[in-house]
Amino acid sequence: MNELAFLTIAEAADLLRSRKLSSVEYAKALIARIEQHDGGLNAFLRLTPEIALEDARRAEAEIMRGDWRGPLHGVPYGLKDIVDYAGLPTTAHSKILENNVAAADAVVTQKLRAAGGVFMGKLSTHEFALGGPCFDLPWPPARNPWNRDHFCGGSSSGAGAATAAGFLPAAIGSDTGGSIRNPATMCGVAGMKGTYGLVSRRGVFPLAFSLDHVGPLTRTVRDNALMLDAIAGHDPLDPGSANTAAGGYTAELGRGVKGLRIGVIRHFYMQDVKGDPEMVAGIEAALKVLAELGADVREINTAPLGEYAACNRTLLTSEAYAIHERWLQERPQDYGGLTRERLLSGAFVRAADYINAMRVRRKLTQAFHGLFSDIDVVITASAMDPACRIDDPEAIERTYGRQARAPFNVTGGPALAVPVGFSKAGLPLGMQIAGKPFGEALVYRVAHAYEQAVKWVERHPVLDQRESVASRTRAGAAPR
Amino acid sequence: MAKEITLEEVRRLAGDLGLTRLTDEHVQQLLRAARTAQQRSAALPTAGLTPADEPAHVYLIDRHVKP
Repeated sequence: MNELAFLTIAEAADLLRSRKLSSVEYAKALIARIEQHDGGLNAFLRLTPEIALEDARRAEAEIMRGDWRGPLHGVPYGLKDIVDYAGLPTTAHSKILENNVAAADAVVTQKLRAAGGVFMGKLSTHEFALGGPCFDLPWPPARNPWNRDHFCGGSSSGAGAATAAGFLPAAIGSDTGGSIRNPATMCGVAGMKGTYGLVSRRGVFPLAFSLDHVGPLTRTVRDNALMLDAIAGHDPLDPGSANTAAGGYTAELGRGVKGLRIGVIRHFYMQDVKGDPEMVAGIEAALKVLAELGADVREINTAPLGEYAACNRTLLTSEAYAIHERWLQERPQDYGGLTRERLLSGAFVRAADYINAMRVRRKLTQAFHGLFSDIDVVITASAMDPACRIDDPEAIERTYGRQARAPFNVTGGPALAVPVGFSKAGLPLGMQIAGKPFGEALVYRVAHAYEQAVKWVERHPVLDQRESVASRTRAGAAPR
Repeated sequence: MAKEITLEEVRRLAGDLGLTRLTDEHVQQLLRAARTAQQRSAALPTAGLTPADEPAHVYLIDRHVKP
């Protein structure tokens, strides 16, 4: 079971293509694992075994007759439940959209379907990709596979939990202030927020138009690059889509880091916010590894973290409020408490403050991108702390101010969260590697070199078989 | 910095925005949320902006109108 559960996409693709592995058997093994263990993790809002087996049978037949579509052919994946899959509800984990059946696939779904992926189901999210792990919603929140008493990050919480738990080799998340990279860090997997506009947002429920990104979570860097290859590309019907060539994200893997200039933004996690000592030690150890591999590691400075955070949150809450205003007027009781409070913080933002945040954004972005005249990639913290307990709302609330992910939503370039080890309590630690706009291939190159040197990806959580947790009992059975 | 918004101001502004179905608990949430938003706005580094500093996203006619 574990052998199939923790196959990488690259390994699975080789086995599937050479007909040493059946995509139907692969899908069945993962479905069995999900059915056995997800009662304790709540990563899935809706498991779709019938669709998965139909996709797998089709993939198998195509591969058997020699029509191999590429590395995702016959490979299982899941979608954060703000991403449309035609004929299934897109609930955004909210009572508001409980019966919102998607009429068409999101563009990212279309692309994964075209690549021959096997759709396994819809994954837990923080409500509307904004609220935290709420216990007052129709479905319970996802939990951390490394310790299910702990937060698994968000808002792409099910995507992080499912990939780390060996339920899926890949999942699609979204990121407006860090929502791919947060669960990636908390769950010990790789999560990429590509350049703004690189992946179409069409068919993905918006949180904040000018900050929203769609991207993959996987267990390895190579798998992440393979997923981005499949989903990136210009979409003329997405107003934010970048009209530029995409793809080739595995091209630089294996070239190492010798001679690359890595700029470290230490003041984010040592001065602006003081990171947890174990997290800081993990990042510093990773920098040492990269230096030993031949990278030129140097410290750089940018604007204080608080300036990026104020800009991100002013824009995010204003744009989100505009999207939700009618429901807040008509059905405020149907939101979870955390989501409602976060949405309401956009109600009274003055137009001048929103516009000033956009003016600040331009200045921050120009200054930040200017750094790349002297460096190739940036490394900094993702989260400042390992995952806190899921039943400690104050600790969870504190995590939102103790992160360094929002700067890359503000400035729009690629940022990849990767694991850098584990705390003494056995919880994942992580860092971010960021690049200049459309510089994803170089970011992956650095991340892959580090990953190959340290092999954190070979550690997996041990799951128990408890079928229910208090949260699920309180919230009622999930509608599967 | 603007003075901190009060509960009564929040109730009045909420009514003006059509947020008329908020319970007392929701209004308390709105008060906390509004104060948080005020703090965020105050944290924006606007002192260095000049009148010529344009927003990051501006209207571009060639994106919206076909010739």
